[in-house]
Order: sequence, then structure tokens, then C-alpha cells
Amino acid sequence: MDNIQRIVQGVLRFIRQLFGDPQTAVGTTIVLLFLFLAFFGNALAPYGANETGDIPVSAAPSTQHPFGTDTLGRDVFSRVMIGTSSIFQKAGLGTLLAVLIGTVIGLYIGYQGGWIDEATSRVIDALLAMPALLLALVILGVIRNLSLEQGSLQFLLARNSVLLVIAVVYVPIVARVVRSSTLEIKTREFVQAARIRGESLGYILFREIFPSVVPTLVVEASLRFSYAIFLVAALGFLGIGANPPTPDWGLMVEEARGGNYNIAPWALNFPAAAIALLVVGVNLMSDGIKNIVQKSE
Amino acid sequence: MLHKEQNENLSRRRFLKIMAAGAAGAVIVSCTTPGATDEGEEGGSASTDTIRVAWGGAPSVLDPSQASADVEIAFLNAIYDYLIDTDADNTLVPRLATDWEVNEEGTVYTLTIAEGVTFHNGDPLTLDDVMWTLERLGSDESSAADLFGIIETMEADGNTLTITLSEPDADFLYTLADNRALILQANAEDIGNSFNGTGPFRLVEYITEDRAILEANPDYFAGAPTVGGLEFIYFPDTEAAVNALRSGTVDSVLRLDNPTFLGLSEEDLYQAVDVATNGHDLVRLRADREPGSDPNVRLAFKHATDRQAVFERVQLGFGALGRDNPIGPLYSRYYTEAFALPEHNPEMARQLLADAGYPDGLEMTLFVPNAPGRPELAQVLASQWAEAGINVTIEVQEESVYYGDDGWLEVDLGITPWGSRPIPQFYLDVAYKSGAMWNEAHFSDEELDALIEEAGATTDEAERVGLYEEIQRILIERGPVIIPYFFASFGVFAENVSGVAVHPFPGRTNFNNAVLA
Repeated sequence: MDNIQRIVQGVLRFIRQLFGDPQTAVGTTIVLLFLFLAFFGNALAPYGANETGDIPVSAAPSTQHPFGTDTLGRDVFSRVMIGTSSIFQKAGLGTLLAVLIGTVIGLYIGYQGGWIDEATSRVIDALLAMPALLLALVILGVIRNLSLEQGSLQFLLARNSVLLVIAVVYVPIVARVVRSSTLEIKTREFVQAARIRGESLGYILFREIFPSVVPTLVVEASLRFSYAIFLVAALGFLGIGANPPTPDWGLMVEEARGGNYNIAPWALNFPAAAIALLVVGVNLMSDGIKNIVQKSE
Repeated sequence: MLHKEQNENLSRRRFLKIMAAGAAGAVIVSCTTPGATDEGEEGGSASTDTIRVAWGGAPSVLDPSQASADVEIAFLNAIYDYLIDTDADNTLVPRLATDWEVNEEGTVYTLTIAEGVTFHNGDPLTLDDVMWTLERLGSDESSAADLFGIIETMEADGNTLTITLSEPDADFLYTLADNRALILQANAEDIGNSFNGTGPFRLVEYITEDRAILEANPDYFAGAPTVGGLEFIYFPDTEAAVNALRSGTVDSVLRLDNPTFLGLSEEDLYQAVDVATNGHDLVRLRADREPGSDPNVRLAFKHATDRQAVFERVQLGFGALGRDNPIGPLYSRYYTEAFALPEHNPEMARQLLADAGYPDGLEMTLFVPNAPGRPELAQVLASQWAEAGINVTIEVQEESVYYGDDGWLEVDLGITPWGSRPIPQFYLDVAYKSGAMWNEAHFSDEELDALIEEAGATTDEAERVGLYEEIQRILIERGPVIIPYFFASFGVFAENVSGVAVHPFPGRTNFNNAVLA
């Protein structure tokens, strides 16, 4: 009971601190707003993502269509709203997956040390040497050309390819950060004590070391999330992140560029602005989190 | 990103290359680095009355027997001559051949070749040059071998050339007007790098991936060009080419996508020209296996499609509405609207699917190459078809993937861009006859096969009109294809340019009568 109360108090204090600093407050508000849209955007959108019906094509922003309509006659406002969930799904879940796997790997190799640490660290180095976007392109290129038999494992992979790519690209980074924290924490007395008590490996990693890694991890996760949004948008723009007619922000920008931009510039400007706004929001928030964590240390 | 080249022509080129490579499996794109050939005495730089034409892409093959892209043909068309040219209406126009005669069976063609024609190096044009070129085009190394391979004998008498074919071919004059049929000097060497033609312009300098500088040929047999020079400037994409026009560094851009052209034509600062072509996007369902093997399913797709809406949203109103067969309004002699198209009626489509054993509709994947406008077409179709219970997942593939390993011939549901040809028989022979090389729908219909066969052989125009009408009826009624529209070909010129007629195949646009005010 005491424990839960302490955690709740800690979280409340953390939220207070987030809104205590104006910059962080703005960032957090933006992120929460988009998070809200991610859950309810589909229900709130005035039109369907691919509804064309009687909607005029390439119409300028108006009260009817606040963000205008694209060259195929789809409401851009609705598409941006509905597209929020896809970016949170891909970038958010991808980051979460990367953090989970990266944490386990980082804790384990950091604590164990020895040749396992050496070998894994070199693999991580190799992966880090490649630019994230390039790595993503290579992985997607392989996954996307697998035969698409509905229901097969390949199909499932291809369907969630971007999410997986985000995870694969960021696992090494998270693992390295967690490893270096672990290296320092494992020399502390309470870890030594647990080892002498004969606690299991899992207990030592997750009950003794993990809580001390959390602050670093939160900062790293929020930073990864902002990069992931960018990566998802970039992959969509390059035409390999999402299949039309998905209302993916990056894909929307790609579809509206070139000659279409002369006819319906709003179809590019608004999704591009949404990407920028979310990235700025996440960055402001992540800066704030970093400051809070550093202060409490 | 494959945005360099825009639409159907690139695809056609890929087809040719893929086909040519055949079993060997290796697609070798010769990356020639043509150098300037003209002996350089003229040397001259571009004079003030040079017309500058921008392209969104650069030539990769400049051997006439292998060239196919607009930018390649445009370069060659300026330096060399065709025996017979085609104009914007697809009519045959004399060029090196001033006159021609065909026997009744369509097997013997007699051409009169212009006299007093000289090559840029000063040598006179002889019939040996013409025969050597035609032989070369029919050889195995040529990508036009299938067209010119039917030449059996050639005989020269004075300035008359008699060509005898091994089988009747009513369209052989169009073969002589083919994009690749440019006349070279006999035994020419280093073809594709060194350019000695009889054409209206002479090459001054060629800079790979950058530009080709040409000057007027004062000795051109049909009269020296009205402009002093011609410059082709190669940009990485259409956007860059259009920007060059906006900044005044070029006088003209040919080959544009629909939205770019619409944007420019609304600006009122340029002369924007669009001409009808017979190029089209072919939406096809495989007819040799389920579900497309059921005629009701094919009809359901037709009823589920609103061609007018597709035309307006994807083509932005440019070009012409299609009627589910490749004989478009450009072929005014053969085109007919006598047969009603299946009307847009999602309910009826649903019913037809139920009758065919799909009461819950269909789930399919629609494959589409990533060329401008094609993903848009796929999206419009997907939303229309969804109303009829046909739910498609759109799979946009890079063109190299779409055409690679003949994937486009395998998939059940796909969209393939087809370029404009001067005659309809081409499409029928290669894509609609049973077992034809590019019959991507795998359609096999005995009645249709017989009609195509007959139409290809007859020289009786009236009979041919009747045959083509029947072919249109069959494809509309039971064909596995939807052709929602025919493209337009675009050219945009600065205000001071006149005397240039944009050709349905932009690369065949002639510049020798261009005037810069």
C-alpha cells in the first residue's frame, strides 16, 4: 500500500514538474493533444479518410474543410486527424518495443560482462555505424518483397514492417545506453548484497538494477520517440512506409508534392505542419524530462 | 525514386529491355557516353536564335535501333531522317520518301526516295544507305527486329526502292515510320556515339546527362531550319525542367504530368498545348483463373467503375474517356461509340459477384507501378470498387519491381501504362491475342483471335473498320480490361515560340520550323 502511494505521489510530482516549466508545458500539451487524436481522431473526424463522395476536389481551406481537400477530393483535416493514430502506432509502439528489448539486452550484457558483453557490444557498434534511415530502407526492402500470402507470417511482418523497423533500428541504441548505466550501478553495494544473498539473475536485473535505470530510460525513450516520428514520416514520404490510401502523414506529403502542389498546396502544408508540430512537441517534452531527471539526481 | 521519366514510355522501354534480355536474364543497359562527332570546324556556340528545349530526364541509349525514350528519339529525330514521318494526327507524312505505293496484297511496297540529300559529312544519300539501315533494323541485335524481320528482299532502281515482305502486312508503312527507323549511312561505325545523319540539325556538342547542342543544317534537303540552332537540356526531373522554364533558361518543356501541366496552363504566362494520344492505363484482371475466369466477375468490375469520375480526378480532364479497349478516339477511322459501356452501378456489380459465387464480395491486391498518377488511379478505383464489395489492398511497387521477373504478367489485378502507338494493331497483336507475349490479362477468346488475325492482314480499309468494331464490342462486353482514359501529350512553350506542333509521342516533335519572335 505504502509502495503504491509512493509511486502515485512520484508520478503526480513528475507531472507537476512537467507543467512547471512553460516550454515543457507547451510540449507536453501538444503531445497530449495528438495522443488524444490518436485515440479519438477516427471518431471525431468529420469525413472518412478515403471518403470522396460529393466532396469537391482541390478545394481551398474553408469552414467546411478547414485544411482544404486534396486532388482526389479527400478532406485533408480528417486525414490528418485519422493519420495521428498511425504515427503513434508505428513510432510509439516501435519505440516501446525497442525500449523493452533494448533494456533487457542492455541490463543483461551490462551485468554479465565478459565475452557475451564483448560480442554483443561489437554487433551493436556495427549496427550503430549504419545510418538509421539506410538500415530501415534495407530492412523494408527485404520485408516488402516477400510474397504476400494473407495470414502467413510474412504477411504479418510486411503489415507491421515499419513498426518492426523502428524497433530494430533503435534496439542497439537503447541497449547501449542501458548497458552503460548498468555497468555503473552493478558495482553499488545493494547489488553486491543481493548477489551475496543468492538472489536469482532476474531478480537482480529487474528488481535491483532496473529501478535505477528508469530515469535515463525515460529520457532516452522520449528522445527516440521524436526520432521515430521523423523516421516514420520519412519512410512514408519515400513511398515505402505505408500503402495508399492510408492517411499516413509522410505519404500525404509525398502525394501532394510536385505538380499537385500547384493545385492543392494545403494538402501538403497541413500534414507537413502536423509532423513538425508533433516532433517539436515531443522534443520540448523530452528536454523537460531530461531537466527534471537531472535535477532529481 | 523513379521520378526522372514519367509515364508510359519508360515502361515501354523497360518492357523492351526485359524482353530483349530474355533467358539470359541479364538486363544490360548500355551506358554510352556519346562524344561530339562533328569535326568541330563549325565549332560555333549557340546563337541567339537557338530554341532551348528542356526534358525531365536524359538519354541513355542513342543507337537508333535500341532507343525508345522520348528524350532519345527527340535527339535522333533532329540529327537523322525517317523515310516517312507521322504528324500530330497520326497521318503519314513524306520525309525522305517522297511517295509510296502498295500492292493489293500488302506485300510489295515501292518508295520514291528524295534526291540531292546529303549526310552531314558531305556524302550523298544513296539507296544503299537506306537498305543497309533497314537490314540493320531487322537484325537480331535490333529491338525492332520483330517489325523489320518480315522484309524478304529489297531492290533499288534509280531512286525507287522496292521492298517485298515475306507475309502481308497492311501496316508496313507505319513500321517504316517507327521511332527507331532513322536512316544511317551504310556501314556507319560507332553508332550511338558518333552521329552522321541527313537531318535538319547537326551535332555541335553532346554533354552526357547535361545537354546536346545542335546547329541548323544549312544544306537540309527540305530547306534549312528556320532557327539557327536547337539545344536539348536534360534535367533530373520534370520539376527542375519547369523551374528552368519559369526562370527563362529554356523556351520549352515537353512531357509533363497532368497536375504540373494544369498548374502551368493556369498561369497564363506560357503557351500550353495538349494533344490527344492513344496512350492509356490498362486496368486488367487475369482471365485464366479465379476469380477473373468468370465473365460475371469481369462484368462486375466494369459496373463498379465510374470512368467519368476517374477521368476527372486522375487525368484532370486532359485526354479522352476510355471505352475498355485500346482503340481510342485518336484512331478516328476505327473508333466507335456504337456499343454501350456497362454503366456505373455498384448494386448490379454486387449482384453479379453474388451470381458468380462471391456473395460477400472480393478481397484482392491491386498492383500498381510507382509512376506519376498511377497510385492516384489505384486509390480512386479502390474507393469506387469498395462500394460494390470489391475490397482491394493497393500495392505500389517501384517500376523495376513491377516489371522485374515478369511480375506484371503474373498478378491477378494490376494497372499497366501503355504508350501511344500510331496504329491499333500493335496493342491487339502483343497484348490481346491468345498467348501473346504481353497478354497480361491472359485473355483467350477464339472469336477475338480470329478478328485480330484478319484485321492485321487485310488491306481493305472498309473491311478493317468492320473488324475493329467487332473487336471493340467483344472487349467492352466480356474483356478482362478496363481502360478508363487515354492520356494527353503536353508541351509548354514561352510566349515567343511558334511553329512547333507537339506530337502525341513528344520525342517525335519536329523543331525545324520553330520561330523565335
